[in-house]
Amino acid sequence: MSRRYLQITIRSKSSVTEEQFSQALNASIIRYFGEIGLSRIAPKLIRFDSRKSNAVVAFAKDHTVEMQAALAFISQVGESETVMLPLKTSGTIKGLGKS
Amino acid sequence: MVKFLDLHIVPKIEDESSCRRMAELLALSGYQAVGLTVPTGLLRDKLKDLRECFQDSGIDVLIRADLTCSRREELLKLLRRFRPAFDIIGVRCTNHNLALVAARDRRVDLIFFDSARRNVWLDDSIANVANAAFELNLSILLERGDRLTITRLMKDVNIALRHDMQMVLSSGGASPFAIRAPVQLMAIAEVLGLTKQEAIDSVSTIPSRIATRNVGRRSGTYVEEGVRTIAEFTEA
Repeated sequence: MSRRYLQITIRSKSSVTEEQFSQALNASIIRYFGEIGLSRIAPKLIRFDSRKSNAVVAFAKDHTVEMQAALAFISQVGESETVMLPLKTSGTIKGLGKS
Repeated sequence: MVKFLDLHIVPKIEDESSCRRMAELLALSGYQAVGLTVPTGLLRDKLKDLRECFQDSGIDVLIRADLTCSRREELLKLLRRFRPAFDIIGVRCTNHNLALVAARDRRVDLIFFDSARRNVWLDDSIANVANAAFELNLSILLERGDRLTITRLMKDVNIALRHDMQMVLSSGGASPFAIRAPVQLMAIAEVLGLTKQEAIDSVSTIPSRIATRNVGRRSGTYVEEGVRTIAEFTEA
């Protein structure tokens, strides 16, 4: 399965942990696209930096739209308001580092 | 380069830090211009400060008014009064009759439906006569992210597409956490039933056209639709 890598910046009222991020992303995908959607998108957390509030997620190449929409639908993580903005999408992890 | 606009941002005017945060996030998301909804009676000094706050982050500002009323006469009166003073005019449709009048009126740029009133939605009779663009606010989805709302929005999109009605996608948010990147708005548009090109148009081409037209109208050279002053004639 061909994959894409998405770099995300997280802005929240309180700090977000790796577990909270993964849970929120999976819950959003299941809520709007169902269990089948989750298995098709197949998101996988590659990197999470709580200090910089950045994350890199890998997902199936054919489901970029669903992945972006699921991220947009996340408005809360735990009890605090959160926004997750995509910064860059690339076919390789190395490509995310290039400007 | 494609220019992205979010025509519906509702800043908290009294809270400068929230405005700065909003501006920072909008710039980070890749927006070039935003439509800021402000109260119609806002003082000029406050407006200037607000404009500067967003312009400091490199974002062009269009001032927008959202008109809310329940009767036709009231709406026409508000349009006469506020159309010349604002770059963008949006009408919150609280009932079907008002939606019909607002959609038909050329002075209205955008119509949108009140998320608190679930009984008023876009229908064929409104879309059939519409001159104004139909605005979909993501805030509705964030407020009530149930399947019913999504299905209803998909129906709205379907009706708008059937009647070739222009569509604009906006955040509609009053907090920095309600801002979404253009690529996210486009993804939601595609999920709701738009094609990729239509989704791109709904966050760039169509809002950009509305903004350019209205800024042109408010310039001193505008006389009426298709008529513009190009030079003053003075007798020697």
